[in-house]
Amino acid sequence: MRVFILLLTLLSFLFAENYTFLVQPYSKEVELEAKIIAEIATASLHVKIKLFIPHMSEMEEKVYSKYFTLSPKCETANFVFVNKNVENEPLCDNANRLFFTNNYRKLLTNDKYFGALFWNKSRPNIVFIQKRLDEKAIALPKTFDQFVENF
Amino acid sequence: MKIILLLGLLGSLLFSDSLDALLQEYKSTSDNSLQTVNEKIGHVVIYSQKEIRLMQYTKLNDILKELPLFNINTNQFGLTNYSLTGSKTTTSGFFRFFINDHEISSGYDQSTSLSWGDLPLDFVDHVEIYYGESSFSFGNETGIYFVRIYTKSALKENSSEINSWITSKGANSQSFTNSSSFENGWSYLMFINQEKVKETTIYNGQKLNSNGTKHYAYMDLSNETSKINIGYTDVSKNNYTGLAFDATPDSGKNLSKDFFINYTQYFLEDKSLKANLSVDVNDRSYEETNTQGIAVVPLITFSHYGPSGPKSYSEDLRFTKTNAYLSKSFDVEDNSFITALNVKNKTYDVQNRQSNTNSDIGRFSAFDEETISSLLFQDSYKLRDDLILVANTKLDYYDRNAYLKDSSETLLRFGAIYTPTENWGFKSFYTQTALAPSFYNVDYADTSKPKLKSQQYHFYTLEGVYTEGNSKFGITYDHVNIDDFIYLSPVGFINIDHTITSEGILFDYEYSLSDRDKIHLNYYTSSLSETINNSTKGGYIKYMGGYQKFDYFTSIIYRNGYDYEGLNIPDSFDMSLGVTYHVTKDLSYSIKANNILDRSTQSLYFTNLGTGFFALDDNDRSVTFSIRWVF
Repeated sequence: MRVFILLLTLLSFLFAENYTFLVQPYSKEVELEAKIIAEIATASLHVKIKLFIPHMSEMEEKVYSKYFTLSPKCETANFVFVNKNVENEPLCDNANRLFFTNNYRKLLTNDKYFGALFWNKSRPNIVFIQKRLDEKAIALPKTFDQFVENF
Repeated sequence: MKIILLLGLLGSLLFSDSLDALLQEYKSTSDNSLQTVNEKIGHVVIYSQKEIRLMQYTKLNDILKELPLFNINTNQFGLTNYSLTGSKTTTSGFFRFFINDHEISSGYDQSTSLSWGDLPLDFVDHVEIYYGESSFSFGNETGIYFVRIYTKSALKENSSEINSWITSKGANSQSFTNSSSFENGWSYLMFINQEKVKETTIYNGQKLNSNGTKHYAYMDLSNETSKINIGYTDVSKNNYTGLAFDATPDSGKNLSKDFFINYTQYFLEDKSLKANLSVDVNDRSYEETNTQGIAVVPLITFSHYGPSGPKSYSEDLRFTKTNAYLSKSFDVEDNSFITALNVKNKTYDVQNRQSNTNSDIGRFSAFDEETISSLLFQDSYKLRDDLILVANTKLDYYDRNAYLKDSSETLLRFGAIYTPTENWGFKSFYTQTALAPSFYNVDYADTSKPKLKSQQYHFYTLEGVYTEGNSKFGITYDHVNIDDFIYLSPVGFINIDHTITSEGILFDYEYSLSDRDKIHLNYYTSSLSETINNSTKGGYIKYMGGYQKFDYFTSIIYRNGYDYEGLNIPDSFDMSLGVTYHVTKDLSYSIKANNILDRSTQSLYFTNLGTGFFALDDNDRSVTFSIRWVF
């Protein structure tokens, strides 16, 4: 019986999406984005992640800080997620940190990014470029193979 | 051991943060379309992308026809028209429709019916419907129901899509959507659509139809701080019963072309300063011939033989709307303030208006330009973590070039949102607002009392919501008092000289069987202090879900019957069901049976200036087949 109740409780957690009123700013999408970036960052770097997001919004700061140590400056970060358009990109481009983007075209045209989380046909996608993974000596786990592409 | 394995498996399903599972959850969260909801505007119903897909809503009216405290009818021109419960209005000014930031109602009569009512949803991400006054937050013209249509995001689509449907009645539609995002942060989404309308009914042995063609085009060009929206639609259709005295015109046509451009720019790091500029141009033509006469109210003459009107009539009109809006939001301790300025200019130009007896009728009144200046202020104050108080005020000044006097209106609203526990929520608003007469109201005013006044609305609402596990239960109560209600009598618009009162209570229950399967029940009942000429009770039961490559739904929408002037309008049970088969993630086929029981709602029409009445069905029984391909 106890197991049955436990199962029911677990199932209700699985489906419980109901809310009364959404009085707080809705953060679930940012939350999932943050979780995905956390998975990618921890799989790519085997040291403590210090994340920098240019022009981070208040909500992003609140949500991302649950999963990362945030870096106020690019120079002190080891993982940079560029999810906005940054004018002239005055970012600390060098080999000491990894760059990830949310823009597929940026990934294709700019070698500094090793991967992207972007939307296509109403579905979120992740792409890593094999050549850039090799160059940056990033060893991703086997479960990431489906996201790695050879260009 | 088996139980432990089962639990282990369940646990891994539950807590697996594998990228695949996270991507899946990211998509389904996005499909729930909760990112734009604003609880402070009023009582809200959200039609998410997921629900639009599962329920096979193809047009905006598919959604609107099930809305509670709301009736959707066909008017004399064969256009769908929206009324508050219990009453049937010919054109509706209570409802404000927006595509993203742009309000799309007509500059002439404030209705959306002719141009945008049957808007295809192929390029729409989600729809939010607020019962409450929106103009406090957005500076737009006033209203009661507020329908916000959000188009799909180019950033999330980045693809092309073809949608097409055909019904067993021969109506059909084809759409193409294309979107892309660029390296520099800009993205675009464009949409084009063509639709053939087939709607025919028999009255008095004569076929009435509103057959015709519609085109829609839409373009969104945005980056993080700028948004340019361009919309175009043209509609050409027959005029159904038209304005014929005998409700059976010899011939007639409605033509409308609508164009708008809307530009929004956000300033400052936190985007708290917003500027918006828009221009709308609407060309509208109408023609009708009828040997028994046409009831164009300002041209009706009365003699001892009775009333008579022209035998042929045509008009070509142009309306323009120019709007400028500037708002600033800022927080001070627990207060969130929004303050805004809005200026709107509307013009009405008669390019041609003639009848068989007068080739140059020109304007019906000198009132052809109006400028509305508004000042808005909102404070939402977080008294405690679980209690938010909202206060709004808006001052509107109507500057009219002639005929009607300039006027000003003070609008007020107070509300509270209380969420004492995670399971309980309460919301209440008191609103005082005014709806000014439109160009159309003035053109068609009763000639014996032509000086129309603004309608004054005072209403309060109370909503309680309880959630438990997968269930959500809600009750909403509303009480509305209307002074100077503008009513279309058979001889033109008049202000009703007494207070009209309406009261309603609404029950809503949702149960999520799984992430994909849901049952939704809704029932409302209302009372109106006047003679009822539309349904006052209604509800729906709908079930939607999916299994593997199939999605399916069934729904039944109920509206109660009533008696009016000796006519007995029966209960309506509009039942539909449908299935979608997903051949791949990008290709799907759907089939939907509409109005299976052939118990459609009916609308009332009158003949000979209200001396006779009759009713016609609003919808046919039909089957729709559709296809969606993304590439």
